[in-house]
Amino acid sequence: MERGLLAYILIPLLSAIVIPFAARNKPRIADIIANVTLLAGLANMAYLLLNPSNIAESFSNIPGDGFSLLMVFTIYLVALCVVFFSAFFAGPMANRQAYFCLMLISVAAMCGVVTTSDFFTLYIYIEVLAVTSFALITTDDTSAGLEGAIKYFLLTFPASVSIIVGLSLLLLSVGGFSFENVKMFMSAGSPDGAALFGIGLILLGFLIKAGVAPFHAWVPDAYQGSFAPVSTHLAGIVTKISGIYAIIRISMLMRFSEGEAQALAGTLMFLGMLSIAVGAIAALRQKDLKRMLAFSSISQLGYIVLAAGLGTPLALIAAIFHLFNHATFKTVLFLNSASLEKAAGTTDMDKMGGLEHAMPWTSWTSVIALLSTAGIPPLSGFWSKLLIIVALWAGGAKVYALLALLFSIVTLAYFMVMQKKIFFGKKSAAAGISEVSAPMLAPVVLMSAVIVAVGLLFPYFYAYLVETIAKRMIL
Amino acid sequence: MTYHTLLFLLTTICAAGAVMAGDLLIGAIMLALVSIGTSLILFDFMAPLAAVFELSVCAGLITVLFVGAVSLVRQSEDADARGRVKFLVLPLAAAGAAIILWFTLPGFFETLITGGTVSTAGQDPIGITLWTARRPDLLGQIAMLAAGVFVIKSIFPRRNK
Amino acid sequence: MTNSFALDWYFIALILFIGLYCMLVSRSLLRQLIGLEIMSKAGLLAVISSGALTSNLSLAQAVIITMIVIEVVVVAAGLALLAKNFRINKSVDIWNLKGLKG
Repeated sequence: MERGLLAYILIPLLSAIVIPFAARNKPRIADIIANVTLLAGLANMAYLLLNPSNIAESFSNIPGDGFSLLMVFTIYLVALCVVFFSAFFAGPMANRQAYFCLMLISVAAMCGVVTTSDFFTLYIYIEVLAVTSFALITTDDTSAGLEGAIKYFLLTFPASVSIIVGLSLLLLSVGGFSFENVKMFMSAGSPDGAALFGIGLILLGFLIKAGVAPFHAWVPDAYQGSFAPVSTHLAGIVTKISGIYAIIRISMLMRFSEGEAQALAGTLMFLGMLSIAVGAIAALRQKDLKRMLAFSSISQLGYIVLAAGLGTPLALIAAIFHLFNHATFKTVLFLNSASLEKAAGTTDMDKMGGLEHAMPWTSWTSVIALLSTAGIPPLSGFWSKLLIIVALWAGGAKVYALLALLFSIVTLAYFMVMQKKIFFGKKSAAAGISEVSAPMLAPVVLMSAVIVAVGLLFPYFYAYLVETIAKRMIL
Repeated sequence: MTYHTLLFLLTTICAAGAVMAGDLLIGAIMLALVSIGTSLILFDFMAPLAAVFELSVCAGLITVLFVGAVSLVRQSEDADARGRVKFLVLPLAAAGAAIILWFTLPGFFETLITGGTVSTAGQDPIGITLWTARRPDLLGQIAMLAAGVFVIKSIFPRRNK
Repeated sequence: MTNSFALDWYFIALILFIGLYCMLVSRSLLRQLIGLEIMSKAGLLAVISSGALTSNLSLAQAVIITMIVIEVVVVAAGLALLAKNFRINKSVDIWNLKGLKG
């Protein structure tokens, strides 16, 4: 574990423990402590990553592992948006303090996941994350939330057992759990059957936790049923960190690009493509906004898994970049769906329409996010999808590259349908609906600005990815 | 070795019993027996500390929690009690799986014995290992316990009135 | 110890199968949790068995202690969820959970 990054785990954990004592009489103090903690962490990380001198020194002043740093930044960014939003989203909240404490512990657990260099420690933090997230899903005490939480619980813990059995096979053949052990083992020659079987079981567990097709059954229910800001948290960052992060790591360590584990890499690419197709086609025929976004999320995950399965340096940095972009645009879309739920009282798309004039900010930030998701230049999503498709083409997977391009157009189609149904069209349903308050718009506007800025400053980010990830960790 | 295999066999039978039990209370008690069997296996593997943990926490604490939950839900009708056929099918299914596995698994794992990497690091006592090599895990345990406390707090909020 | 290794894993696979079967066919949430417990016991036995074979017992033991702590919190949280479900829906039958569709 990086010694310097330990603070990003410890500080949220300590804040979470402090909140019940500090905010016993005034519940508002809980909001303030949570927001300040996350803001401080974000500012620290942003200073490290976005320092103008980075380019001059070609990123040599950034310590260690660029992937971990970028993920910590993303976690704090999304969590800050969600926490700030939910402080003003005065929904039915059974226990405000416990909600913010769980949010902070979930941030600490995610930082634990991304900063560790040991598979067993990774597993522990993923379990912490799973326990906190299903408690967060039931925050608003509805029976839909409970249903989502139970489905999540019943699918995610068998996946943990699969990971544990895989880890024990790893202990058998590699002799330890740390990334170093696996790296040394891989450099010694082709892996034997036990190691491949173990890694296969671990991958299976993480694929279930990430909700990649055909293991996606729990995703739409959990996202639709949960408390609105929590579904942003889940879709934006939690399922990515608890599943996709480890898949990308394994792809790096097992050198999928060099054909050492051909069967695993091929299966991973196939599941990624299946996920893209299933998510996109199912999203076309959804009536409920949150459910449609959930299927869209499955589809976007497919792109990341597809690139991770290919495993060339370009594909891996494209996957990491798409992971970051996915976090930004899904946060915007889910937060907007929460705003709509608060303003219009429903998430059924057929019951809405013509909200463009009533809610201009929500409408236009949705447009930015959906264009980025569909890959329209110059927004950030365009660059990451372009990198993925170029990597696939260069890596020899030309059929997958063409299919990925095709489904990118389907993505645009279902988002256009969504935008037309909700914001454009007949104005009859819009009567009496007005824009949500400014503090609730602030996170959305911030995230949209990030999307545009990352798209325009793409050369900087590309240089960061190449210098700190591709050169240090893969080659 | 015979004792060792016998323990595994008993644990497997108790697990099947826990699944097949008609009464949930008997199921919970069978689960405790599975834990005790696991704990004895751990003793046999010369892992006494883990065995004591397993015995006190899993066989003790978790059983208490399960019995509490059983007494809570007992008055509701048990849908599984009506469709019991699928649980009685378990021995058949398990026997089928046992026969299939018998011809595939031992052969596969026999090959692993030679392929296993024997650790060259000296055998430190468990406490030293836990403290030096697995320190991040301890932090993870603390996070897990904190998460558990807040989960319970969030699921059972204090009543306002 | 090593010559019974293959047989140990045979039983581990069998216990895993029993737990999985329980989770597949049960309707009661409590029985699902029992299946989950049985499966995690199998995982625990798998770790100690590989640790013993590679004479890495202290690492395996350290890992198992952590796993037991995790298991307790997961089961306690699952039972809390069950109790809440029972309070709201008056049932522990997971087939009654059909509110979300699309």
